[in-house]
Amino acid sequence: MPSTFRYNGSIRSCVDIELVVISIMGKSRKTVQIGILIAVLIIGGYAIGSTLFGAGNTLLKEGSKPPDFKLADLEGNQQQLSDYAGKAVVVNFWGTFCPPCVKEMPEFERQYLKWKDQGLIVLAINLSEDTLTVNNFVRRFDLHYPILRDMNRKTERSYGLKSYPTTFFIKPDGSIMEIMVGGMTEVEIDERIERLLKL
Amino acid sequence: MSVLENTKCECGHQNAVGTVLCESCGKPLENNDSPDLPLEMRYDGVARRSQKSNPNIIDRIWNFFSSVKIAIYLIVLTFLTAMLGTIFPQENTFINSFDPSFYYEDAYGLPGKIYYLLGLSHTYESWWFIGLLVMIGTSLVICSLDRILPLYRALNKQQIRKHLQFIHRQKTVYKQTIEGDSEQWVEKFGAQLKRKGYRIHTEGTALLAEKNRFSRWGPYINHIGLILFLLAILARSIPDWQMDSYITISDGDTVQIPETNYFVKNEKFTVEFYKDEELPEKLKGKARAKLFETKAVLYECTSNCNDPKEKPVLAEVKRHNIVVNDPLKYKGLKLYQFDFDLTPRLNAVHPVLVNKVTGETYGPMDLPMKDSALQHKLGPYTLDLYANYMEFAIGDDGEPTTLSRDPVAPAFIFTVRGPGLAPEGEPYIYFPMQKDKVRFSQDTLNQAISDKIEIKVDGMENVDFSEASTYLNVRMDKALPYVWIGATFSMIGLLMGSYWQHRRIWLRVDDGQLSLGAHTNKNWYGMRSDVAWALQKIGITVDSKSLDNGGNNA
Amino acid sequence: MSLVDFSSDAFITAFFLYCFAFLFYVLAIAGKKWSNRDPLKHEKRWGRIAFITSSLGLAAHLTFFFTRWAGSGQIPTSNMYEFMTFLGMAIMIAFTIVYAIYRKALLGMFALPLTIIIVAYASVFPQDVQPLIPALSSVWLKVHVTTAALGEAFFAVGFAAGLMYLLRVIDFKGKTKEEKRAEFWVEFSLYSIVLLVGFIIAVFAFRGMGYETEFIQEKSTIDAKGIESTVSETVIYYMPSIVKPYNSDIVKYESFLGMDKPLFEAPSWMTGVNSGRKLNTVIWSIISGSILYGLLRLVFRKPLGAVIHPMMEGIDPEDLDEISNRAIAIGYPIFTLGALIFAMIWANIAWGRFWGWDPKEVWALITWLYYSAYLHFRLSRGWQGRRSAWLAVIGFVIVLFTLVGVNLVIAGLHSYSGT
Repeated sequence: MPSTFRYNGSIRSCVDIELVVISIMGKSRKTVQIGILIAVLIIGGYAIGSTLFGAGNTLLKEGSKPPDFKLADLEGNQQQLSDYAGKAVVVNFWGTFCPPCVKEMPEFERQYLKWKDQGLIVLAINLSEDTLTVNNFVRRFDLHYPILRDMNRKTERSYGLKSYPTTFFIKPDGSIMEIMVGGMTEVEIDERIERLLKL
Repeated sequence: MSVLENTKCECGHQNAVGTVLCESCGKPLENNDSPDLPLEMRYDGVARRSQKSNPNIIDRIWNFFSSVKIAIYLIVLTFLTAMLGTIFPQENTFINSFDPSFYYEDAYGLPGKIYYLLGLSHTYESWWFIGLLVMIGTSLVICSLDRILPLYRALNKQQIRKHLQFIHRQKTVYKQTIEGDSEQWVEKFGAQLKRKGYRIHTEGTALLAEKNRFSRWGPYINHIGLILFLLAILARSIPDWQMDSYITISDGDTVQIPETNYFVKNEKFTVEFYKDEELPEKLKGKARAKLFETKAVLYECTSNCNDPKEKPVLAEVKRHNIVVNDPLKYKGLKLYQFDFDLTPRLNAVHPVLVNKVTGETYGPMDLPMKDSALQHKLGPYTLDLYANYMEFAIGDDGEPTTLSRDPVAPAFIFTVRGPGLAPEGEPYIYFPMQKDKVRFSQDTLNQAISDKIEIKVDGMENVDFSEASTYLNVRMDKALPYVWIGATFSMIGLLMGSYWQHRRIWLRVDDGQLSLGAHTNKNWYGMRSDVAWALQKIGITVDSKSLDNGGNNA
Repeated sequence: MSLVDFSSDAFITAFFLYCFAFLFYVLAIAGKKWSNRDPLKHEKRWGRIAFITSSLGLAAHLTFFFTRWAGSGQIPTSNMYEFMTFLGMAIMIAFTIVYAIYRKALLGMFALPLTIIIVAYASVFPQDVQPLIPALSSVWLKVHVTTAALGEAFFAVGFAAGLMYLLRVIDFKGKTKEEKRAEFWVEFSLYSIVLLVGFIIAVFAFRGMGYETEFIQEKSTIDAKGIESTVSETVIYYMPSIVKPYNSDIVKYESFLGMDKPLFEAPSWMTGVNSGRKLNTVIWSIISGSILYGLLRLVFRKPLGAVIHPMMEGIDPEDLDEISNRAIAIGYPIFTLGALIFAMIWANIAWGRFWGWDPKEVWALITWLYYSAYLHFRLSRGWQGRRSAWLAVIGFVIVLFTLVGVNLVIAGLHSYSGT
């Protein structure tokens, strides 16, 4: 009868290990295999999936959900984008130092007056300029839609702005219908708002 | 496939299907290989888990990933695709958002466009590259599991007296007739091997000497480490586990770290350049930075944090001088010195008002470039701020305007009331910077009032400006400890597996005829010299090279 | 005499000792067949002399390293000159370790020329001590660079032994297609080594002539913020310009052998620092290397492989296979530690991320994956011997590309090491 030997520790612990090994190798082998393959499927699926859909740092584009913001308007009231869920929203970034922005402001005013009864919301976010500058500007053009004050370029950065003006047309379902970079003519604004309100 | 295969060895041991060498006595079970070649000793000839008759779909997937060949293909495929990713810069090398669809074509023409369209501009984030890594991970798990248990079993119950065929077909073999008492000879030989660090097990005239068995677990520990490492990297995609953003702070400013409750103040940024005498000839006269440092203070916001109307309440939590290679660290948050900008920025001036007629001076007043008080009272004068401009210019319509929002060429328009001025006030435009005063001819713009009063700054002590801005990189990575744990495991496994080798010597003496066979998983040279050394010690001189039984080095 | 000057003397001493050691190793091997002596005794005697000489060379090299460190106050691994000399030294250390295990004088015949070429290649680069930019002053950098270089040095020894194996088993008499192909590629490998020598010769020859050509290059760069800007840079060539830098104008041109203007312009995709000049240098190396190769062929009247092959007789190819494999197996954990783990630790300290897919990092990973594949191949039947030797040779090409090539064609964070 050939003898076998074992090292390390008592015979009991060796037997225990042996039992575990045998049970893993034997009856539950199928279960172990399936378990590992399922774990691989879930973890691997998550890894591949997050490259396809995740990656939060990608640029905003049509169909994506714009980041929320909470900003003060000129009267000192807080305005939040999520307050307007379910409505057609135009978010416009502007500054007094940018001539096409300045040109657009009265056009937005006319459009706002034209469509506000149908539920259009215009939020004009100033690009972190100081109070006096913004107040003087709004007084000069007599604007009625909310002018929001970004601070330290926080909101503008979260929207990944590259140039001004930039306008986001946001559908009632909260996703972006269109992003317009650069100035627009009044006709262009009108046409987009009309489309937005039909959605 | 035939269902029954006789896997019972002549020693009586029942082996599993796929067994190459009898698990008990080591006799080769497969008779179809050539009898002269050394034996295939991998995993001690034990059946691997995946080797099974009648595989079903799960077995097939399992078999696929348990194959070393597939693992090699995966590794090769991974490094080939990784090469492709280095042809042009990857998208993530650009810090600010830019539009890659134009960039690659602009910068590299048609190849750039193809590169972008194939998705190679973000190779390492692409689904197929991650897919390859996932498959390597799977292969690591299954390959290891498939081998480690059978190997453990084989090594844990070894028979001392091996079949003669097993011994003679080792890669290192020695045969000799010996005189005298066999058992005594075996004992003496064993004693010599013991001096080389072998554990000796004898059974009559049979001997098994073994050392460094632990090194067999090295590759598996290494693989476990790699799996941990890969999982840790994967964990970084869990929301809030990782952050990477850049902030710019001018001297004296406090800036919120995006998406956190933390604020950072840059108290002072300093840069030191190498002096000319420290530089070799070629670099003289060039500004080569020696050290740059940001005196930074980290605050945590305690209330009014995201209230746009109120100033946030800040509590200091950490103070550190950030230099390259020495970030500010606080609760997993790290602020690295990234870059700097030495363009000065005007923050505020403290000008005085001079009555040009009497020569009397009033003030100074505090005039920050941004959000100044709207009314300033200086002696008998009242100044109402009417408008301010950051980069003053006259627009196309002849109206004053600003070209940017940074205080590059600031201007302030006041309505001034006071002695000798019209009761409703007179406008006065003030340029804090001397160069702008001249460029826009402040006195001409102000006309008559410029003879009556003047607003001016007395000395540099009344000018408050930031000399520089620092660029900090804000990082957070909660998976980091796991990354290091994985790397450590992997390294320990590698060292175990590479610098120690599992060596075994079997011998038996049958009627004065010594048969010795030795096996190692690596480094045959060392194996042979061990055997030759021990033989030498008991008086048998043999050239270690002559022990080689041919075949290839595994 | 300052420490740095003294270290330069030590360096030159090391270089000459290496050259002598090489000669002794050749003597030990080639002299075995001379009449009137016992081959074994001869090899033992001259092998010992050669080993002592090469060890003295290594000692001088170490003296150079530490005195330069003491003299400049920073570890001499921060520019291409220092790094390359360090790599040469690391190869000698790796060689000494492997030699101590196997005692094969023959190994010296291949490892030493490798060291000599690399050390000579190093002296092509500017040798003055350059002050460090802040990112490079970290303990981890020192540990990272030195460990990685040591790992690569073992790969280099593996390469040398692999090439020896091929020269031993391929006898340059084979007529089958397969044999012919193997002969071609061995010869090609030798040719590539000759090219490197040609490069060194070209550099020193033109430097001796004091040759200089000047260009102004317009470079448009897109900075980290995505803003495009154009800068003009003066580019000076120290070799006659065959290729001019991309988008550049001649300022000063010395004609050479009737060639009075550059023949063509460097392609735009070569984005590395001074890539135009480097491409020009590559072309010159090919020219001078090919001339050198041609001369050698004229002298021997047969392929270089066929010249070396007979010297290898009597050497057990299995030993070479084993040495090659062993060197790589020893180097692999060191490389992993130095080029990946220490690199990650340093990157994490310096940039706040342990991995950034920078081209140099990617190439270190590629090298690591390649050798991982190599080690797994060794587990399979049929992948020892020739195939394995080829893998060792190709592997070292990848190592060299990671060290030098990446800086030539790809710009990245490690661009400091390119000159």
